[in-house]
Amino acid sequence: MDTTVRELSYAQAIQEAMAIAMEQDERVILMGEDIGVYGGAFQVTGDLVERFGADRVMDTPISELGGAGVAVGAAVTGLRPIFEFQFSDFATLAMEQIVNQAAKMRYMLGGAVSVPVVMRFPAGSGTGAAAQHSQSLEAWFGHVPGLKVIQPATPHDAKGMLLAAVADPDPVMIFEHKLLYKMKGPVPEGYYTVPIGKADIRREGRDLTIVATAIMVHKALEAAAQLKKEGIDAEVIDLRTIRPMDKDTVIASVKKTSRLLCVYEGVKTLGVGAEVSAMIAESDAFDYLDAPIVRLGGAETPIPYNPDLEKATVPQVPDIVAAARALATGNR
Amino acid sequence: MPVEVILPKVDMDMATGRISRWYVEDGATVKKGDVLFEIETDKAAMEIDAPASGTIRDITGKEGVDIPVGEAVAWIYAEGETASEKPAASAPADAPPPRTPPLKGEGDPETLTPPSPLRGGVRGGGAASPDSSAVRATPLARRIAASAGLKLDSIAGSGPNGRVMRKDVEAALSASPTAKPKADASSQARPSAARMTASAPLHHAWLRQGSGRPFVLIHGFGSDMNSWRPMLGAGVVDAPVLGIDLPGHGGSPRAVPADMDAISEQIEATIAALYLGPITLIGHSFGGAVAATVAARGHADIRALALVAAAGLGPEINGAFLSGFARARSEASLMPWLKLLVADEKFLTPAFVKATLAQSVDTELRRVQAEIADRFFADGTQTVDTREMIAGLHIPVRVIVGANDHIIPSQQANGLPGQVALHVFQATGHMPQIERADAVLKIMLEMARGAA
Repeated sequence: MDTTVRELSYAQAIQEAMAIAMEQDERVILMGEDIGVYGGAFQVTGDLVERFGADRVMDTPISELGGAGVAVGAAVTGLRPIFEFQFSDFATLAMEQIVNQAAKMRYMLGGAVSVPVVMRFPAGSGTGAAAQHSQSLEAWFGHVPGLKVIQPATPHDAKGMLLAAVADPDPVMIFEHKLLYKMKGPVPEGYYTVPIGKADIRREGRDLTIVATAIMVHKALEAAAQLKKEGIDAEVIDLRTIRPMDKDTVIASVKKTSRLLCVYEGVKTLGVGAEVSAMIAESDAFDYLDAPIVRLGGAETPIPYNPDLEKATVPQVPDIVAAARALATGNR
Repeated sequence: MPVEVILPKVDMDMATGRISRWYVEDGATVKKGDVLFEIETDKAAMEIDAPASGTIRDITGKEGVDIPVGEAVAWIYAEGETASEKPAASAPADAPPPRTPPLKGEGDPETLTPPSPLRGGVRGGGAASPDSSAVRATPLARRIAASAGLKLDSIAGSGPNGRVMRKDVEAALSASPTAKPKADASSQARPSAARMTASAPLHHAWLRQGSGRPFVLIHGFGSDMNSWRPMLGAGVVDAPVLGIDLPGHGGSPRAVPADMDAISEQIEATIAALYLGPITLIGHSFGGAVAATVAARGHADIRALALVAAAGLGPEINGAFLSGFARARSEASLMPWLKLLVADEKFLTPAFVKATLAQSVDTELRRVQAEIADRFFADGTQTVDTREMIAGLHIPVRVIVGANDHIIPSQQANGLPGQVALHVFQATGHMPQIERADAVLKIMLEMARGAA
């Protein structure tokens, strides 16, 4: 199929994916707070309510527990809802529906039902939205069997992975970094999917492996470009999926480079990078390590409102450069 | 066999150390873990413990004198052992594993605490330690060492706290001709080199230890890395200096490389295997042509380039010298050719002649080298042209020639682009690095300053 590739923003790519899904399958509906006339807290749903009507683009009351519960119930009874949270932080209000209901139902009912719900979470810091609107909670959901958790980092992947999520029979949590929404990149027209559970090597290198997620992929690539000038050749892996994690790609890369740096925005302790690190330490890549594994994660603090402090709590490009340099030069 | 007591590396960038005082006298009975002497560094005073129990003798490490790291300062004899059983003392160049002596903290030398059994128990890496698991080493270093049959406690660790890393094991492997990785492990043992090119690293050695941007030196045709030693002895070099033996030369495999790219790949693989980062590259004669090619290929991170009496700048080369030199097997037949190398015969020191002759009587070595000469300098013509490569470089380049070079005419260095610095030494032949060792070393050090 001959497809045209255009430049779209990450938000436009998601909107296009939702429109394609709704055109292809009338069971696909959108739900969430202010996603209709208002177009969504981050204008991701835009004018979809005009194209598909209020029956399929449903504004829900200011109750995440209620809205998410309706979405899960709709999924069990045959629809394919895409539920938008205004901020991923508000997932705390809907944990019962996600963790105890959506993730468990197929298991507890012996496979008699599945829960094909997609939940979209605008996540991450950098917008000055302070402690209750800036968290990166993806690792929480990665801890729950029954859920799939993805973090697309590019417009291309945002569209392809959302379409893969809609097609998936199980609940899929999509964490969309808010700072990525305006980022532009090539996006093919029409329907395509990017597989869930498959990492992507964004840059090949030989001196160390940087495993990054979401916006950290871009920071890691920027760091890699700087490191190149110092003669350090970093491989950058975009993990893309938190659960199920693509172990093979990471293991193969670490076997090649002998050094691993995990970069993620969520709080460092018990975060995504902690899992990657432990997974490598348990794997046969252990015998290929020529330095301790290093994690760069968010600071052990709520995200501050002060913009300088906010920046300082999450890994930035110079932090990645310094950590990678220390690793690659044997000073770590 | 008596146990060697060495001056350990207790600080990352320490090349020499000073014993501030001995706590034991020659002939004293010591127990493993007893404090033997104290080292003073800029940061702290450290106590060094006995690596074994026995009688301490042959205390050669004097107080208050700079001693190279790794040098034997005393020996510990077990009962009944004699000096004749003593193995050759460690050369400081291949430093033994840094012990990690207990830090005395801020304490002054007067408040000595006897080493507790606990501290003695956790210390790893001692020469007398029979257990490699006590050595700090990365998993990869352990695996490579195990597959090569190397004991980790015989390897100097360059990582934090003396941790042995892949590069340390590989350095030990290349220094020890008997220990080689098993065939199945060798491909894994040098993944970086194998990935970057299909080439294995060449024989190499650190001619100087130090800190800062490393110098990498490539010798000329028919020579080896040792030819750089007289120049390095002409002054103080703070930065590390790596010597590499070209293929078919010195300790490198005796093969005839297909072309300049093949040689360059091997040089690049050697640099990559050592994770050198940015370097200053210096080549002499044929090694100069190689250095320029490596710089132009852009695979290695070269920040400055010096070409000493380099090939590759023009067509002529003294073909009679090349074949005569490669064929000579005796001092009588060698001397006339050696005299062509220098403007003043006083530089043909007995040591230089002896070292060259030692290679000349190695028939196989010279046969390979004659083939290399045929391939790259057939019929007295240089088939390698590096002028365009040099013109395209965006790094500082210095060209150093002797006005009386009888091997490669110094005029070939004329007409290079204006940004290339040209140093012409009068009354100097093909070996400026030996004939004008101090001046060439000074130029080299200036290049290092440019880096800072």
